[in-house]
Amino acid sequence: MRKAIALLILTVAQLASVGADDVKLYEVRDGTKVDAKTLMGWKTWRALACERCHGQAQEGLVGPSLVERLKVLSKDDFHTLMQNGRPDKGMPPFGGSQMVMQNWEGLYAYLKGRSDGAIQPGHLYPIE
Amino acid sequence: MLLTGLAAATDLETAMSDSKNWAAQAGDYANHRYSDLNQINATNVGKLQVAWTMSTGVLRGHEGSPLVIGDTMYIHTPFPNNVFAVNLKDQSYKWKYEPKQDAQVIPVMCCDTVNRGLAYADGKIFLQQADTTLVALDANSGEVVWTAKNGDPKIGETNTNAPHIFKDKVITGISGGEFGVRGRLIAYDVKTGKKVWTAWSTGPDAELLVDPKKTMTWTNGKLAPIGADSSIKTWKGDQWKLGGGTTWGWYAYDPKLNLVYYGTGNPGTWNPAQRPGDNKWSMTIFARDLDTGMAKWAYQMTPHDEWDFDGVNEMLLVDVDMKGKKVPVVVHFDRNGFGYTLNRETGALLVAEKYDPKVNWATKVDMKTGRPIVDKQYSPQTTGPDVNVKDICPAALGSKDEQPASYDRKSGLILVPTNHVCMTYEPFNVEYTAGQPYVGATLTMFPTPGSHGGMGNFIAWDPAQGKIVWSKPEKFSVWSGALTTAGDVAFYGTLEGYLKAVSTKDGKELWKFKTPSGIIGNVFTYQYGGKQYVGVYSGIGGWAGIGMAAGLKESTEGLGAVGGYKELAKYTTLGGSLFIFALPGDASATSAAR
Repeated sequence: MRKAIALLILTVAQLASVGADDVKLYEVRDGTKVDAKTLMGWKTWRALACERCHGQAQEGLVGPSLVERLKVLSKDDFHTLMQNGRPDKGMPPFGGSQMVMQNWEGLYAYLKGRSDGAIQPGHLYPIE
Repeated sequence: MLLTGLAAATDLETAMSDSKNWAAQAGDYANHRYSDLNQINATNVGKLQVAWTMSTGVLRGHEGSPLVIGDTMYIHTPFPNNVFAVNLKDQSYKWKYEPKQDAQVIPVMCCDTVNRGLAYADGKIFLQQADTTLVALDANSGEVVWTAKNGDPKIGETNTNAPHIFKDKVITGISGGEFGVRGRLIAYDVKTGKKVWTAWSTGPDAELLVDPKKTMTWTNGKLAPIGADSSIKTWKGDQWKLGGGTTWGWYAYDPKLNLVYYGTGNPGTWNPAQRPGDNKWSMTIFARDLDTGMAKWAYQMTPHDEWDFDGVNEMLLVDVDMKGKKVPVVVHFDRNGFGYTLNRETGALLVAEKYDPKVNWATKVDMKTGRPIVDKQYSPQTTGPDVNVKDICPAALGSKDEQPASYDRKSGLILVPTNHVCMTYEPFNVEYTAGQPYVGATLTMFPTPGSHGGMGNFIAWDPAQGKIVWSKPEKFSVWSGALTTAGDVAFYGTLEGYLKAVSTKDGKELWKFKTPSGIIGNVFTYQYGGKQYVGVYSGIGGWAGIGMAAGLKESTEGLGAVGGYKELAKYTTLGGSLFIFALPGDASATSAAR
C-alpha cells in the first residue's frame, strides 16, 4: 500500500515537471498523426535529408541513433547543436538554414516523439 | 592498344603499354581494366594465396585501387586522402603525403567519404582531394609540385572522383548533385596546373562549350545539330544554375579521335515536379575534344530524371563487329538499367537494352528518338509530390553505380558488377539553401522482388548484341570494380568481403578469399620480380555499405526481402586494408625478373 502511494506521488511529480516547461511537447494520434508544429519538425527532418546520416527510422547510420541520443540530449543542447553542428564528427551546422532555425523546436519535438516510441517512423500527417 | 598513330608517347602511355604496371585506375585510356598478364589463370587460380597486406589507417569506404609503376605502389585512402608510396621490394614507405583538410567538408559528402584513387603522369602523382583541391606530387619525393582548386565545399561542392590523365591534361569533375551543385568537367595542364577549359553541364551555349551548329545529338533516327540554347530552354527560369549534372565517374579517351568521354549526373532536386523540362544536359554522355573541351556530340539518356539515375558510370571504348563491320563504339552501363552502345566517332545510337531483365521504369528505349518509353506506373512525375511510388526497378543507386565493368579483350565480352535492387520513391517540395542538402525525395530500397532474393549479379554482356551472356547471382550488390586477364579469369569483390575469381567463359567460381571488410574497391594486377600479383582494397562504405543499410530496420517495406540488408551487418564491419595475392612458389620458375 505504501509502495502504491509512493508510486502515485512519483507519477504526480512527473506530470508536474512535464507540465511546467514542456507543455505538450508534441501531440500524437495513432502514431502517425501529429500537431502542426511537430509536423513541420518532421518536414524539416525530411527536407534537410537527415536520414542520410541518421537513418530513416532515426536508428543511426554514420551518424548516431537519435532514438538513443534524444533520451539524454536537452532542448538547449539540441538547439546549440543544430546551430553549430559538430563538424569534426560530420554533423553540419544548420544555423544558415532558415527552415531549421524556424522549426528547430518542432524538430526537437518530433525526434523526442520518435525517441519515446510515441511517433512511428516514416510519413506523418496532420491530426485533423 | 589505342596508342597508334601518335606523336611521342608520354611517360604515362609508355607505362600503360607495359602490363607489368598498373599505371592508371583502369590500366588504360579506354577503361578496359584488362591485363595481358597470364601467370595466374583459370587452371591455377584456385591456389592463389595472400602475399602481403597493409593497413591504410583509415576506416570507411575504400573505392578505386592503388597504382603500380615500376618498383613503387601508390596507395590512397578515403578522407583525409592520405597517399603512401610503397617500395615493392620490402613494402616499406618511400614517402607519405597527409593533407590537412577542413573537417567541414565531411558533412557535405554525407554519407561517405570515398576517394576513387590517384593518377600518374609526367613524373607526378595526382590526388583529387575531397575539399576540391587538385594536387600534383613529385612521384619520387611526395613533394607538392602544384595545386589547383576546382570547387567550393561551402556550397556543397566536393570531389570523390579520380583525376584522369589524358595526354598532356588532367581532367577532373565535381560532386554535389544532392546539394544543388552545377556540374562541369575541368581540364588542367599536367605540367603547370593551369586551367585550360571548363565545360559546364547546364547553362548558356558558351559555358557548355558547344557549337549549336556542329555539336550533334541523336534525334529522329539520325544525328542532328543540337541547336541554340539547347540547355537553358529545357529548364524553368534559371533553375539550370542548380542544375546538377555532376561529373564524378570514370572518363575515357580515344587518342585517335582526340575525344574525351564522360557522363553527367542527376538534375538538381530529386522532386521532378519542381523542375519541368528535359533538364539538359544532365544524364548525358558527352564526347569532347581534349584540347578545347568543345563537344562533338551529346546524348541524353534519361531526359527529365525522376529516379536519380545519374549518368556518370564508366565509358568503355571498344571496337565491335556489327553487321560484318568493325565499329568504334563507346559502351556505357547506365544507372537507369540500360546498356548503351553508341558509335563513339559520331554519337549514333546503336544499342540500348536492359542489362537487368527486371528493369521496369521504362519498357524500352525508342531507337528512333533515343528516348526511354516511361511506364507511368513507376513515374513520380506522373503521380506528383507526396505520393509514394512503389516497386520501381532499379533503385536510385541503379542497376549499376560507379563500380566499373571490365572488357575482356580475348572474348569481346564485358563483365559487369551490378545491383539488383528496387525502391519506393516519394518526392516532396524543397527550397534551395546554399551548402544544405537539396534532395526532395524519400526512398527505401530492397532486393528485386520475384527474383533470386539477392541484391546483385555479376554478368557477362555482349555489347554488339545488347545481350546478357551469363549471369551469376550474388547475395549483395557487387560494388567492386571488375578485372579481366589474359589468364581467362575475371575478379571482383563482394560486400561481405570476398575477393572472387571466376571463369570469364561461363562465370563459374574458381576461387574466393574472405577479407576483413566488405569490398567496394576495384581489383588490379601487376607484375614485380617476375611474379604476377592481384590486389584489392577491403573496406566497406560508399552508398552500398551505408545507403543500403538505411533500410536496415525498416519493417514496413519489402517484407521478407528486407532480410537481405539486415544480413549485411552479420558479415562485415568497417575496415581499411590492402590485400595482395599471388601464387605460391618461386617467381623465377615462371619468367625472368624485371
